[in-house]
Amino acid sequence: MAVDTQDRPSAPAATADATAEQESRFQRYRIRTGMFAWMMHRLTGVGLVVYLIIHIWGLKSLSDPETFNALIAKYHSPIFKVGEFALLVAVAYHAMNGLRIVLIDLLGWSPKQKKLFWTLGGVTAVIILVGGWPSIYSLGEWLFGPGSMPTLFL
Amino acid sequence: MAQSNALNWFLHRITGTFLIFMLITHFWVQHYDHQAASVTHEVVTEKGEMPDYPEEAKEGVRARLGPDADVTPYQVVMQRLADPVYAVLWKGFNILFLIVALHHGFYGLNNVMTDYIRDPMGRLVARALSWTVALGLLIIGMYSVITAGW
Repeated sequence: MAVDTQDRPSAPAATADATAEQESRFQRYRIRTGMFAWMMHRLTGVGLVVYLIIHIWGLKSLSDPETFNALIAKYHSPIFKVGEFALLVAVAYHAMNGLRIVLIDLLGWSPKQKKLFWTLGGVTAVIILVGGWPSIYSLGEWLFGPGSMPTLFL
Repeated sequence: MAQSNALNWFLHRITGTFLIFMLITHFWVQHYDHQAASVTHEVVTEKGEMPDYPEEAKEGVRARLGPDADVTPYQVVMQRLADPVYAVLWKGFNILFLIVALHHGFYGLNNVMTDYIRDPMGRLVARALSWTVALGLLIIGMYSVITAGW
């Protein structure tokens, strides 16, 4: 979270100082499961803010039917279907990792966090596959011809 | 600036939890419900070509706008946003969604910026700029939602 620090906290071992100063900010972190989750949370978060800005800007067209229809028709082109899927991946990851943070912070689930991480990882995979199926389906139909994809739960 | 961060920190978790439920509703309505979804599972490649909607959507639109109404993305959305009864509910939902999403997104963005911008003046400028953008988006978004279907 946002913490005001003018300087980096000094390393516990004074001998490590000289080498630590030369390393970049990223190299000071040890990338483990939790660290990776945090980095991805930031990346997807910033990405989603950018999407939110574009999304609200685009929806100005609600005041004009023709512009709105043209925009939605454009969102049905192949490249936007790929983007739609990428958006779902980012949202699903950010939501489930966020839920993990809330459960740990507000309900004190930190003793169970390893289990929680993998459980929510599984849930995320299901959301991406089931929720992303319309995008995958439409791209498949376009790539391999109409009727080539199974309808499943559509 | 650290003094009031505890409340915002807490709010960030609350808005995040809220967003999960709101996103599920939003996602269901926009992408899954055959009558209400304005986005279909269809790729349109020709310029100007409209996606074809399921029978449920066609019936829903024609029941509200008359038997000859075109079924385009706009009309499908207007089933909710121009409905005499449900419009208030959906507009309310959308405005709440907008406020919660903007607060969550821009508070998070500010956390990230505070971590990487080390100059106090730079931080202040970044904060002021980002919240100005958020306020602008709030006004644009609310205008779009409120006037839709008028």
